[in-house]
Amino acid sequence: MGSGKGRRSLQQGEELNLIPIMNLVSILIPFLLMAAQFVHLAVIDSTLPVIGPPQETPPEEDDDPPLQLSLVLTRQGITIAGADAVLNPDAEAAAPVEGEEDKPTIPCKDPNCATPESYDYELLTEKLGLIKDEYPDDENVIMVPESRIPYEVIVMTMDASREDKDASGEDGKARTLFPFVVIAGGAK
Amino acid sequence: MALKTKKRVEVSQELNITSMMDMFTIILVFLLKSYSTQDISVAASSDLELPLSTSAKEPQLSVNLIVTKTQIVVDGVPVLNLTMVPDEENPGQELIAVPEDEKKGQMITRLYDRLLEKAEQSKALGDASGSKEHEFKGRILLQCDKTLPFSVVREAMYTAGQAQFGEFKFVVYKTTG
Repeated sequence: MGSGKGRRSLQQGEELNLIPIMNLVSILIPFLLMAAQFVHLAVIDSTLPVIGPPQETPPEEDDDPPLQLSLVLTRQGITIAGADAVLNPDAEAAAPVEGEEDKPTIPCKDPNCATPESYDYELLTEKLGLIKDEYPDDENVIMVPESRIPYEVIVMTMDASREDKDASGEDGKARTLFPFVVIAGGAK
Repeated sequence: MALKTKKRVEVSQELNITSMMDMFTIILVFLLKSYSTQDISVAASSDLELPLSTSAKEPQLSVNLIVTKTQIVVDGVPVLNLTMVPDEENPGQELIAVPEDEKKGQMITRLYDRLLEKAEQSKALGDASGSKEHEFKGRILLQCDKTLPFSVVREAMYTAGQAQFGEFKFVVYKTTG
């Protein structure tokens, strides 16, 4: 009789009282639901071009002129300006033939550039990698988008010019190309 | 027989909360993982869809300029509505634009007044706090819909630049993986 009673009380003691834990969890869940963020936000830094008074003394003539890398975004594609020496080392600086429209350096995959994905960002990253090889210390790029270019294309171009995910840099991370973006007034 | 039935009822009255606890534990772990203490948040709306980007920079709290498909909002207060104008190069299509009567050249006048007010407020706050950390740096968070034409973004940027905000932070959705 006595031993039977003892066994029953032991069995009862084995069952955990989960009600207080349930209460605690029920309070925690609404709190965490409020603080949960299912989309992660990031920012891209940019500045406007600095407008200042012209310099009184002209900069000294240098053998190695600074790179003024610009990316012109149009409805035909992306034109890389300011780095012709790297991209076309053999081409002479000939004036464009009259009547013939300048073709962009990186034409769209689809002739009308209908969607943001039709721009060839992989090729842009590749070309910028070549420029970076020649100018390893340069980190600035000027964006010159046309008025009607969607904002998404500008952001995707900034991504393509910031780093090369396929090539690894010194620290083993993606290779940094031109992370500092200046947005110019743009072409009409 | 009657005694047996009574016993069965008593047993079924006890609620087995172990499976519920399992479920709650899983939910708790999931919510803890998505817990975030970011300074800014984006109000989800069909008019504002931010672009995706690989940028990994964390946003910092500053003046928030939101340009949706239909309106311009500064720190949660709507400033002006945008209109649709016919696209000259693509007949039959329309482009989002700032109404002409709201502009002076490239500058959006009502937005300029609002941002200038914000800049003055931020400067006064920075001076009152006396610490370098809170001083006015001309930083502005720009949340733009991904389909907006650059002309609208340029006008908003130009106006912000005139109102002493020169450091732009474009807010984007971070791509995972």
